[in-house]
Amino acid sequence: MASRALLRQCAIGINENNLGWSRLFSNKSIEVEKKPAVRKNFQEAGLSEEETEYLEALKNPITVTDENVGYVSGVPEEHIKTRRVRIYQPAKSAMQSGTNNIQFWQMDFDTRERWENPLMGWTSSGDPMSNIQVNFATKEEAIAHCKKMGWEYYVQKPNLNQPKPRSYGINFSWNKRTRVSTK
Amino acid sequence: MASQAATVVRQVKPVLSVNREDARRKVLKLYKGWIRQVPTMLLSYDIPKSERECKQKIREEFKRHAHVTDLRLLDHLIIRGQMELQEVANVWKPKGGLMYYWKETWEKKPTDFMSKFLSGQD
Amino acid sequence: MLRVPVVRATGLINGRLCAVSLHTTSNKSQQELVELFIDDKPVQVPPGTTVLQAAAKVGIEIPRFCYHERLAVAGNCRMCLVEIEKQVKPVAACAMPVMKGWKVKTNSDLTRKAREGVMEFLLVNHPLDCPICDQGGECDLQDQSMAFGSDRSRFVDINYSGKRAVEDKDIGPLIKTVMTRCIHCTRCIRFASEIAGIDDLGTTGRGNDMQVGTYVEKMFLSELSGNIIDLCPVGALTSKPYAFVARPWETRRTDSIDVHDAVGSNIVVSHRTGEVLRILPRVNEEVNEEWLSDKARFSYDGLKRQRLITPMMKINGQLQAVDWEDALVAAARSIANVSANKCAAIAGKLADAEALIAMKDLVNKLGSESLATEQRFPNDGSGIDLRSSYLLNNTIAAIEDADVVVLIGTNPRYEAPLVNTRLRKGYLHGEQTIALIGPDVDLTYEHEHLGESFDVITKLRNDSHPFSATLKEAKKPLVILGVDQLTRKDGAKILYETQALAKALGDNSKAPQDWKILNILHTNASQVAALDVGYSSTVEEIKEQQPNVLFLLGADDANIKKEDFPNTFIIYIGSHGDVGAAIADVILAGAAYTEKVASYVNTEGRSQQTCAAITPPGLARPDWKIIRALSEMAGITLPYDNLNEIRFRLEEVAPHLVRYGNVEPANFFTQAFEIAKQQSGESFLPDPVDIKHKTLDQFFMTDVVSRASLTMAKCIQAVIKQRQSAV
Repeated sequence: MASRALLRQCAIGINENNLGWSRLFSNKSIEVEKKPAVRKNFQEAGLSEEETEYLEALKNPITVTDENVGYVSGVPEEHIKTRRVRIYQPAKSAMQSGTNNIQFWQMDFDTRERWENPLMGWTSSGDPMSNIQVNFATKEEAIAHCKKMGWEYYVQKPNLNQPKPRSYGINFSWNKRTRVSTK
Repeated sequence: MASQAATVVRQVKPVLSVNREDARRKVLKLYKGWIRQVPTMLLSYDIPKSERECKQKIREEFKRHAHVTDLRLLDHLIIRGQMELQEVANVWKPKGGLMYYWKETWEKKPTDFMSKFLSGQD
Repeated sequence: MLRVPVVRATGLINGRLCAVSLHTTSNKSQQELVELFIDDKPVQVPPGTTVLQAAAKVGIEIPRFCYHERLAVAGNCRMCLVEIEKQVKPVAACAMPVMKGWKVKTNSDLTRKAREGVMEFLLVNHPLDCPICDQGGECDLQDQSMAFGSDRSRFVDINYSGKRAVEDKDIGPLIKTVMTRCIHCTRCIRFASEIAGIDDLGTTGRGNDMQVGTYVEKMFLSELSGNIIDLCPVGALTSKPYAFVARPWETRRTDSIDVHDAVGSNIVVSHRTGEVLRILPRVNEEVNEEWLSDKARFSYDGLKRQRLITPMMKINGQLQAVDWEDALVAAARSIANVSANKCAAIAGKLADAEALIAMKDLVNKLGSESLATEQRFPNDGSGIDLRSSYLLNNTIAAIEDADVVVLIGTNPRYEAPLVNTRLRKGYLHGEQTIALIGPDVDLTYEHEHLGESFDVITKLRNDSHPFSATLKEAKKPLVILGVDQLTRKDGAKILYETQALAKALGDNSKAPQDWKILNILHTNASQVAALDVGYSSTVEEIKEQQPNVLFLLGADDANIKKEDFPNTFIIYIGSHGDVGAAIADVILAGAAYTEKVASYVNTEGRSQQTCAAITPPGLARPDWKIIRALSEMAGITLPYDNLNEIRFRLEEVAPHLVRYGNVEPANFFTQAFEIAKQQSGESFLPDPVDIKHKTLDQFFMTDVVSRASLTMAKCIQAVIKQRQSAV
C-alpha cells in the first residue's frame, strides 16, 4: 500500500506543476498528508484546458504492440538474456500411479553451477532462478509468459498416452499366449 | 490464445502517458529534474564524484533505456526514475545506494568464451 | 499464470487427458462407441473399455493397487470397487467392461464404504513403519489411506499376537524386500511373467498365509528387475542401492535421457547436494514406455567413481594434474603444426552430438577427414550416406505390430532390453513369430533358431529355407540386424544381404507403404549421431594412417593400445579414467551425461536432449566447450560460443538433430540397395554369427560408467553365484 501511495504521489509529481515538485522535495511528510483534501478542490477548480484533455485521454485505451515486461520486472538482465526456459508437462512419478499432479504445464530454467560451500559443506548456488517453477494450464499460456518476460524458451514434447482397451478375460483365453501362468 | 496476445496489437489502459509525445515530455522533465538536483545532491551526499561525473552518469542511465518504445514500459521507467529522484532529493537513499549507480565494487563477470571456460562460469 | 488449484481444475480440459481423448476418438471413430455416465459426466468409449479407463478419460481417477496400465488385469486388490446404478454389489472397475447407459458412481456412499473396508483389511496386516520405509512419501498405500482410511482403528489385539509377519527374501543385489509390507497386489509377479519373461515370482499359501516370493530361494535376475521397485505400490520392494538415502520430497528431479544403450530411454535423474541419488524411468510411449533397464537405472554410482576431475598431462612419463591453461596449451601446441591429414579422432559410445560436431569441425579445420567411431560401421557398400542403412527404420514402438520378425546376429535382450520388451509384447499380444540367426540365446520368448551362419539370410531370400514360407506369408515382416555384426570384415556384405532380404520381402508382402522392413539395432548411444554428422572412417584406417595427433572423444572400447600409435600425441577428452585415458598424453576432463545439456540420437533416429542435473565434478567441463577452447588456443577458433550457436551449427549439418523428441524417418531404401549391390559378388567369411552379450553377467558392464559402478559389479557377482549354485 505504501508503495502505491508513493507511486501515485510520484505520478502526480510528474504530471503536476511546480507545486508538486516543491512538495516532493520538502521532507515534512505531515504537510504532504494533509494536503490532498485541499488539493482536490484545487485540482478540479484550477484545471487548464490542456490538463482536462489529458485526463480525458487517460480514460481511453492506448495501443501497444509488443510488451517486454521482463525489462521492468526487476529480474536482473543477466537472468533474462542468458537463460533458457524449458516448458514441459511434468512427468508422472514412476513410483506411484496417481496422475493428479501432472495435468498442467510447467516452466523451469536451465541448471547453473552448484558447488559445495567450503565452510559448512552445504550445497550453494548463485542462481536465483534455480527454485522457480511456474505452473500453467496450457502450453500457450506458458509460451506467452516467456515471450512477455523476454526469456528464450523451448517446448519439450509431451508424452502422448494411448491406452489400449484391457480385458480380464484374456488371462484365461485357452488359445492365446496371454494366458496367465503364475499367480 | 494468450500467445497471440503477446504479438498482436492490443488495447490497454494507459498508465501515465497517452502518446509518445506525452511520454517524451515526461522523460525530459524527469531528466531536467535529475540534472537540476545534482548540485544539491553533492551538498547533501559526501561522495567522491564531481558534478560532471554525476551528470554523465545520469545521461548514461537515461540512454540505457533509449530503445524502449512501449508506452507503458516508459511510464514504469519514468515512475521508477521519479521514485529514485525523490529518494535522492530527500536523502532517503544512503550513500552506498547512490554509489551503486557506478557499480565500482562489482567484480566483472567474464564475457568472452575463453575466460568463461577457464573460470568455469556459464 | 494460475495458481495450482485453478490449474488443476482447468487442466483436464487442456492438459494431458485431452490428448488421450483426442487420440482414442480419432482412432476409433469408425467403431461404435458406448456412452455411459461417470459421476453424471457423459463419456463415450469403444466397447471393451473398462470402467476404470472410461473414468480416466473424463479425469476421474479411481484408486487402485493391483491394476497397472501395462500389465494384465488381475482384479484382486478390490480397491477400485465402484457403485453402478441398478447393480446389487459394487463392481471392480479395473476388470469390468462398460455397458451402454451405465451410471457409475465413483464417489457415492456405497463406493466409499467399499473402499474403506478394503483399506481397513489391507491395513490390518500392514506394518506401521512408514517413518523407516523407503517408499514413504511416494507410497500409494500411504496416499490412499489418507483418502479412504478409517479415522479410528478396530484393530484391538488384546492378546498381542501381533500383525502378520513374513520373512524377507533375498532376491538379488538390486532389490530390497520387506515382505511384511506386501499387500499382495501381484504386480511384481505379473511383471516378471509378462514383461521380463521370467516366471520366477509367484504366490504360495492362501488367505492370511499368502506370500509372494520365489518359493525356493532364488535371485530375481533379470535385465529389467529394477522395474518391480517402481511397480510395487508399497514398500515391500525397494531399491537396495537407494536404501535410506533420501526422501522423494527433498530431491530435485531433472528430466534426461539414458545413454547406456542406443534406445535413448527417457529418465528422471533424482539428485540432491550435487549428487545423483537415483535414476527413474520417465514415461515415453514411443521409446521406453514405463520401463528402464537395470544398467540405466543402477549404474549411477559409476558417475562418482573413477572420474577425471582435472585436466592431466604426461610429465616425465607420468600423468599429472595440471591447470586448464597448461593442458590446453600443451594440446594446442601439438596440433599447431600438424600437417594436413595427420590428425584423427575416434568417438566413444557416450559422446553427444554437440561434442561430435565440434570435434569434426576441429579435425576438418586441421585438414583431415579421419573421423571414426569406436564401433566400426562399414563405409564400403552403401555406407553412411543414406540413413536408411543404419537406422532402426520402423521405430521401436512399431516393433510390436510386426507379425514375423527375423533377428540377425543380435541379442536384443541385452543389447537393448527395451526393444526386447516390445518384441515380447508382440509375441504375447500380437502372436508374433520370431526367428533368430546367431547363437541360440534365451530371449525370454519362444523363437525359431535358424542357424548360426550368415548364409541363412541368402537362403531366406532364395526361398530355400524352411522358414521362408512363414516369412513370405507375413503381412508385416521385420528384419532386425545387430550392428555388432557389421564390425566384421565382411560387414558390408552382411548389410547388403540383409538389405536384399528386406527388399525381397518388401516386394513380396502386402505390407503397408510406410512399413519399413530393414532395421539396424545399435548398441552405442553416440553411433547414430556420429554417422549423421559424418564420422565415416574406422579405427583400422586410423591405425594404418598413423596420425601425429589423435583425439579420443571418450573412446574407451576402441580396442587400441599405445603400441598401435607409437609416434602419436594422444589427447583424451572424456569423463572417466579408463582405457582411453591411460594411454593419453593429455587428458581433458569432460562431463558425464547427467552433467551436460546434450543431444543424443537413438537407434531409430530420434533426437533427444539430456538436461544438466548436476555440475561436473572438479574442473571438468562439457565436452564441446573443451574442444571449442582448444580450438581457440590453437588459433583456429570454432565459430560457436554457446549452446545455441553450436545447435545452429548442428542444424546446419543435420536439421533433425535439433528437432527433439521426433523421429526423422529415413528413405531411399532402393537407392541404398543399388549402391550396396557392388558387394553382391563377395562372399561371407567362414566364421559363424557371434554376439557379444549372451548371458546376463555380460550385460551389466559395457561402458565407462557401468564399469566404474560398484552396483554393477555386485550384479555380475550375483549372476555368477546363482549360476554356480544351480550346477
